[in-house]
Amino acid sequence: MAEPVRLTLATGVEETAVDQTHDLLQELWEQVPDVGDLDRIRVETAVAEIIGNIVRHTRRLDAPGSDSRRVQVSVWCSPDEVGAEFVDNGLPAAIDLSDVTMPDLDAESGRGLALALAAVDQLDYERSSGRNLWRLSCRRGGA
Amino acid sequence: MTDFDVRTDARGIGIVTPKGRLNMVSAKQLRTAVAELVDAGTTKVVVDLAETTFLDSSGLGALVAGLKSARQAGGDLRIARPTQQVVTVLGLTNMDKVLRPRESVDGAFDG
Repeated sequence: MAEPVRLTLATGVEETAVDQTHDLLQELWEQVPDVGDLDRIRVETAVAEIIGNIVRHTRRLDAPGSDSRRVQVSVWCSPDEVGAEFVDNGLPAAIDLSDVTMPDLDAESGRGLALALAAVDQLDYERSSGRNLWRLSCRRGGA
Repeated sequence: MTDFDVRTDARGIGIVTPKGRLNMVSAKQLRTAVAELVDAGTTKVVVDLAETTFLDSSGLGALVAGLKSARQAGGDLRIARPTQQVVTVLGLTNMDKVLRPRESVDGAFDG
């Protein structure tokens, strides 16, 4: 693979965006079949948590039926790394990733971002020009 | 899209088999399936994960909820035959301490 492969989708911030994002990654794996299973698992696990977080939180104050929130998801693969970027026009995420910790074993929620952080090598969030931007990446080399 | 098979075996153990992704979309169904078993008196439950292609934190939360409700009713919830992605998530979250994967559905309550 000489050039990085990059795939993008733009969709509404709805629960269906979760499956669409899984499908986008599946397409990436088909185009770059030499990505190892562990690398795929790590990236897909983190990607699912971020798109899930966006769907859950960025429209939390919207009126029912509102469909003004949009998200663009890009997934990419280079010879050295696999990664993803998410840009949405929703509410600010109001989180500090440096404060995220894994909750107690009996907690029924609150593991999403901690799991994403644990799964990949790099995860960043920033709020810029009214948009949320998430970036994650994973160095290739897993089994 | 996730389907759920729910059955009770000859020993009275409930077996729930989620098929597909166990994520924020389908986690509610798992919570409901386990709650209905426990409410009906089936307090020993095995979640057969052999056909669960993907688990996220919502699905994991549903497993924890089921574990707690089963134990509160005097039973337990155990997981069997997880795929590699599920094993990875359990390890990354340290949840393999309380949801120890079992090799088979039939043997999940042995030992």
